[in-house]
Amino acid sequence: MARTSNLTRKAIASRISRSVYFIILMGGALVMFVPFVWSLSTSLKPLSESLAYPPVWIPHIFDWSNYVKIWHLVPLAQWFANSAIAAGGVTLCNLVFDSMAGYALARLNFKGKRLLFIGVLAMLMVPFQAVMLPVYIILRYLHLLDNYYGLIVPLAVQAVGIFLMRQAFLNLPSDLEDAASIDGAGRFRTFWQLSVPLVVPSLLTLALISFMLSWNNFLLPLLVANRQHLWTVPLGVVMFQQEYFVNWPYLMAAAVMTTVPVAVIFLVFQKWFVRGIATTGFR
Amino acid sequence: MTLPAVLVLFLFTLGPALYAFYLSFFSWSLLNQMHYVGLSNFTYIFTSHLFWTAVWNTASFAFIVVPSQTFVALVIAVLLNQNLPARGFLRLAFFFPAVSSSAVISIIFMWIYNKFGVLNGFLAILGIHGPNWLANPLFALKSIMIMNIWTTSGYFMVVFLSGLQAIPQNIYDAAEMDGANAWKRFSKITVPLLKPTTFFVVVMGVIGTLQMFDQSFILSGGTGGPLHSTTTLVLLIYQYIFSYGKVGYGAAVTVILFAFTMIATLIVNRWLGKSIEY
Repeated sequence: MARTSNLTRKAIASRISRSVYFIILMGGALVMFVPFVWSLSTSLKPLSESLAYPPVWIPHIFDWSNYVKIWHLVPLAQWFANSAIAAGGVTLCNLVFDSMAGYALARLNFKGKRLLFIGVLAMLMVPFQAVMLPVYIILRYLHLLDNYYGLIVPLAVQAVGIFLMRQAFLNLPSDLEDAASIDGAGRFRTFWQLSVPLVVPSLLTLALISFMLSWNNFLLPLLVANRQHLWTVPLGVVMFQQEYFVNWPYLMAAAVMTTVPVAVIFLVFQKWFVRGIATTGFR
Repeated sequence: MTLPAVLVLFLFTLGPALYAFYLSFFSWSLLNQMHYVGLSNFTYIFTSHLFWTAVWNTASFAFIVVPSQTFVALVIAVLLNQNLPARGFLRLAFFFPAVSSSAVISIIFMWIYNKFGVLNGFLAILGIHGPNWLANPLFALKSIMIMNIWTTSGYFMVVFLSGLQAIPQNIYDAAEMDGANAWKRFSKITVPLLKPTTFFVVVMGVIGTLQMFDQSFILSGGTGGPLHSTTTLVLLIYQYIFSYGKVGYGAAVTVILFAFTMIATLIVNRWLGKSIEY
């Protein structure tokens, strides 16, 4: 008898603590969502209602016109296209270069390989902001300012990507490749036709990391794109804010439209994002 | 095969670090002839009030944000690691800000922090007269700190979650059998076994916060104001190139920023980096 009551008490205690945890987490999740909900709410209001004080949470009428007007006010379509070109280029370059370098560090034997790998690890620690000044000057020398190459080349290789791909290739059984080379396949053929198809999951993670890195980047376009027709969405939205800072509904409409593509990609590939963090610990 | 990658990495990561070191000994405005000035860029920097303000702002930002985000991330991860309903949804909710653009988040928070914004509207209900957050030197940097903790905690939460999932369940079962309560299990098993993950989270947090730029730049309209209260070291580097045309000063600050980052990483390494004994 005493034993069962002890057990039920324990079950009740665990149930209570789990409910408390759940409530804390739901409160936290609410805090995470509120800013996004508020920007959506503001974007659906006419200017006068957006400035009402105390703030109105649910607009009286859902006014979608801000979403239409902003496309005529600023070259938003151009900015989206620029972001897509830059992010697409960065993703493609990283897929090719990082996987080649990762493969070499995992599979080939050459002089200085260890030193090279330590070098890559060291570069994991250098964030872009820290080298902003010299990078800007180098881009200037190479005439990469004010063109698309400037938005792509500095991010074309990521130490994180090399690290991720090295791990992926290390996990492949080497017998497979040995068999291929006995059958007469060269290094490059083995790499492209045999090894790369086997690491597609890692390539997908790498693609996501690189795409987000470029799509969300603010500092690089700020350095590179002086002319408005080269601005990316984040840079354009900030510049637009400095001009139209009184019109919050427009700004929030722009913010929502910038976030939606990211949200869709994130929802579809959530598992791969988490996997990327779990294997490399890096964004 | 490594050649293209090594070339690009060298050109845009390691090379620039060395190049900044070289440039820090020259006076140059990007437009004129550069000339060697020895250590005078560094003497100028070390006697400049603005530089020390930026050091103070950057250091206090790191000191407050890193422990806070690490703590919040750990707590959320441990709670999420329980067998709870809607775990997938919750994880998504906490992680989402970390994949959004810093520029968009800054704009959204600018609106929230507005003098007549939703934050002050909420405080008014509680009878508190909120300040003009971003225009008040006392609150501007703190506002950015809060925004930053909000953004990055979810990212580090996912890192902690993957660390937690690597701890074998049977250790917890054994401890529970021996009568250890939830707090004991957390402090005597989870925290020590998570040490490698914590080390990683703190190092990445320190490196990230010491380089804070986007948020300060956007929320202050590029000025680092009000009264330089949001000027960080990286923002100062930006201003030295683009507002003052003093590449040498910017390069000197870059070198010092590198030194700070290295020293901070070494300190964290001494403190948390030692291998753990089971």
